[in-house]
Amino acid sequence: MVTKKPGDEVTNLESGRRTDEWSQCLRAIAKHRDRTAFARFFRHFAPLIKAFALSGSTLSANHADELVQEVMLKVWQKADGFNPDKASASTWVYTIARNCRTDLYRRLQKFDTPLSADDVSLDQDGDEPAVMLHQRRTRDRVRVMMDTLPADQAHILAKVYMEGKSHSEVASELDLPLGTVKSRVRLAIQKLQIQMED
Amino acid sequence: MAKFHPDLDMLTEFTAGTLSLAQSACVSMHLSYCTKCQEISEAQTVMAANLFEDLEPVSVSDSQLDIVMSRLDEDAPLTYSKDAYAKEAGTPAILQRLMHGDFSDLNWKKITSSLRISYLSTGDPYYEFALYHIKAGGVIPEHNHQGSEMTLVLEGGFSDSDGTYHAGDFLFREAGDVHSPAALADQDCICLAVLDAPLKFTRLRHRWMNPFLQLKAS
Repeated sequence: MVTKKPGDEVTNLESGRRTDEWSQCLRAIAKHRDRTAFARFFRHFAPLIKAFALSGSTLSANHADELVQEVMLKVWQKADGFNPDKASASTWVYTIARNCRTDLYRRLQKFDTPLSADDVSLDQDGDEPAVMLHQRRTRDRVRVMMDTLPADQAHILAKVYMEGKSHSEVASELDLPLGTVKSRVRLAIQKLQIQMED
Repeated sequence: MAKFHPDLDMLTEFTAGTLSLAQSACVSMHLSYCTKCQEISEAQTVMAANLFEDLEPVSVSDSQLDIVMSRLDEDAPLTYSKDAYAKEAGTPAILQRLMHGDFSDLNWKKITSSLRISYLSTGDPYYEFALYHIKAGGVIPEHNHQGSEMTLVLEGGFSDSDGTYHAGDFLFREAGDVHSPAALADQDCICLAVLDAPLKFTRLRHRWMNPFLQLKAS
């Protein structure tokens, strides 16, 4: 657990509660190159990254370990660019893991490309003010939305986002019509949009 | 502000990282014009991160931690600020990277008196990634699509029977759609097209050009 020194700013908004510890951990890694903080961060996130790597079930255990190492090394190298006003620690780590997994898939398929998944994805670092304004509100609302999502929609979202499956792959795996899969994903995203517009 | 956007399915696949490389580069460029789609994709990312946090952890051995700890002193790879890069020239950063310069540095291939095409290499073996330059007022002969086509307007604009499109506008057409786009009268139009099969000119007098339009994915 992080020991809070007086003067440390802790924003305990609903969804911030469980990520704030990790934001501070990242700050310690960035500012003080704190290896103890890094080891703590590793013990929490490495098992999630490994679960993420294996959830698509196309990567071998060796590749999953390779991915864990690569992502955690990036965490150390990029911690300086982490901006807690813009993303929670888990969103930041997830983005790195997703991009590394995509790059690994492409390497395994022998793509010869000048573009990395980082180049193509939205920047989670940086400080564009327009996006930052909404960030904390977004986090809270997404959490609320996720907690009220019907099980069948949540299940499909996990397949799409965690397992990295296309809509048609999900459809054949769950033996559902493609239209049903698409509409369940859309329903969830539309709920998200409604939350955002309020 | 862009008026035509990728649909939710496509933004979902983009955010999940499952869209092909060439297509995701095109969607990403649309996002650089469009804060609305940026916000949707950001919210989807936060949602995905929630799913990530809820995954059942898979144990990682301490030896993995040791390996990573021993590598912490390696030099970090060089990074570039995407924003600074993009704002300077006004075209999306990814495009500048692929063009190695600007539109004038490209090798343009003349297809008709008003249409020139330049093929860029993204490394995606399944999709062709090309810039189309249509002279002001010029028309692309009616053609249909054997596969899907993504289009992003970069400069100027064009119109077809469905509407008028300007810089930042994104269009997606399925196989079998027939259309005949025309550049706006007052300005040359440059757009990006991502195809998974060559287009085919439909009118007899234009069909001789079809062999020149073999798919050039790389």
